[in-house]
Amino acid sequence: MSNGGESATGALGGAEFPLDVAAPGLGARPGSPVREAIRRLRASRTAVLGAAIVATLVLGAIGADVLAPGSPIESDQSQTFAPPSADHPLGTDQLGRDMLSRVIHGSRVSLVVGVSSVILALGLGVPLGLIAGYLGGRVDGLVMRAMDLILAFPVYLLAIIIMIMFTPTAGLLGTIKVVGAIAIVRVPIYARLVRGSVLSIKEKEFIEACRALGVRDGVILLRHVLPNCLAPIIVTTTLGIATAIIVEATLSFLGLGTQPPTPSWGWDLKANVAFIQANPWLSLFPGLAIFVTVLGFNLFGDGLRDALDPRLK
Amino acid sequence: MRAYVLRRLVQIVPTVLMITFVVFLMMQSIPGDPVVALLGDAYTEEDAERIREAYGLDRPVVEQYLIWLGKLVRGDWGVSILTGRPVLQDVLVRLPVTLELVVLSMGIALLIAVPAGIIGALRRNTWADYAATSAAMVGVSIPEFFVGVLLLLAFSFGLQGVLPSSGWIYLPGTCPNMVCGVSLWGNLQHVLMPAIALGIGRAAILTRLLRASMLEVIRTEYVTTARAKGLGERPVVLKHAFKNALIPTVTVMGLQVGFLIGGAIVVETLFAMPGLGTFGIDAIIARDYQQVQGFALITALAFVLINLFVDLLYTLLDPRIRYA
Repeated sequence: MSNGGESATGALGGAEFPLDVAAPGLGARPGSPVREAIRRLRASRTAVLGAAIVATLVLGAIGADVLAPGSPIESDQSQTFAPPSADHPLGTDQLGRDMLSRVIHGSRVSLVVGVSSVILALGLGVPLGLIAGYLGGRVDGLVMRAMDLILAFPVYLLAIIIMIMFTPTAGLLGTIKVVGAIAIVRVPIYARLVRGSVLSIKEKEFIEACRALGVRDGVILLRHVLPNCLAPIIVTTTLGIATAIIVEATLSFLGLGTQPPTPSWGWDLKANVAFIQANPWLSLFPGLAIFVTVLGFNLFGDGLRDALDPRLK
Repeated sequence: MRAYVLRRLVQIVPTVLMITFVVFLMMQSIPGDPVVALLGDAYTEEDAERIREAYGLDRPVVEQYLIWLGKLVRGDWGVSILTGRPVLQDVLVRLPVTLELVVLSMGIALLIAVPAGIIGALRRNTWADYAATSAAMVGVSIPEFFVGVLLLLAFSFGLQGVLPSSGWIYLPGTCPNMVCGVSLWGNLQHVLMPAIALGIGRAAILTRLLRASMLEVIRTEYVTTARAKGLGERPVVLKHAFKNALIPTVTVMGLQVGFLIGGAIVVETLFAMPGLGTFGIDAIIARDYQQVQGFALITALAFVLINLFVDLLYTLLDPRIRYA
């Protein structure tokens, strides 16, 4: 996330608007910048590996009902703390639930929270950043002070208190609450990022040309400013999903995420730490699952940054 | 310089007030209150009313906050509703535990990251660089509590009994009660695993940052000049390149403080340490308003003071940066 707003400006979306080609450095490049970025992305081993991990996880989460050998929730009291075996490849927990099924189903909460909270944060942060940066003046001051207010809080203190306010519950509603809590904490990151990009883009000649032609502000923002801020947004989004998954797992670990019986990796890990001496595999696998998922998004995000921002290579 | 520090210290006041006020509003907006938990089975509406009145819980939220603030300026952090103990006393007992954890984990992080970041940049695209960057990638992707669990597993099997898995032995001179375990060696044994668990992630972030900014710095002209005038490799790297590469690194580390506080809560919970992290999370879950306020206050203070410290560190690293 080290690249500032300006650095990646113009790497994407240049083809959207012919006047942009006049911007220095873009006209000379053969092929569209988007195609060029995809080529670089495919050549990056880290990006391909990350994409493969993420794709596997997404498929696993979608097909969890078919893939999982049993139910993640139904307990079998005769099979508590069973060690790994052919029937239960990852063993069973204290309630006799199949761990493999829980780990496979647990991916749903992690992925849904990771992706949705970032989408929600984007949905709030991007318009705020666009408007603040473009209009400037008092609107800018008001929006950015509100963002500073959130940023003044240590991330976890705020997320924990929001979760207590929401009262953690199970199932879909419980998941939505976690999504909301994480999104609120993350909104300022996108608002600031987009505002920074807009501040530099709005001074460019092609925006001035649009104004001279009498294009309306809304159209300028959506058709011409937004596409040119996309590169840093995309990179930050991918890495943001990784962060959101860690925050979700941490909240679950503290007992403040999605509540049981909904399977969640963070919760499973915490619940089984007490039995670590006798049944080490029980906390090992949910933890590994979190790690691999976060690793996948981080690898993909790193590859994306290299591909979209060749200056940093 | 002194005027700048003074001005920054004054600016801390509104930030801390704002954080504690928002936390107060948020905690009070949760339905129900700690009185129900306090009375438990003996709950009667009359008793509850009496206790609410005694603690001022029946007054408007803003008034309650002002009362808290009024006591605070006189050095009174309030009394916990659930335990009856003064909040300041609890905070002071738990602060050294968390400070020790955080300082040691940052030490571990620097010990790993400084050599790893420098070697990664100087030996770019060699096996040493790949090892450093891959390890750093793993480090940023692994949550603190999972590092902790892996350490617990390692020490309960391969290295059985070398390090204790939970609890705490106090450093000599910090024991809060008449009876508690006090020993330097025992304290080190207890703090080592949590500090590694918290330090690994920071080490990974630092390594990545330091490597990236070292790569940028060693390409600059002043480094070429330093080499050209015949300086040895060591002073070039350490005095010219490393010092300048530290500036962006320090900035991002300042931004990481919020995550460090979360990490301390998690690690203290996992290892059952009597620090501020467990104090805070227990207080929030129990809705012990006074304790939560104490926790929010000390966290906010730490947060803004560390950020001030980071800004002052710049002047040490880069003499061109002057605050007036």
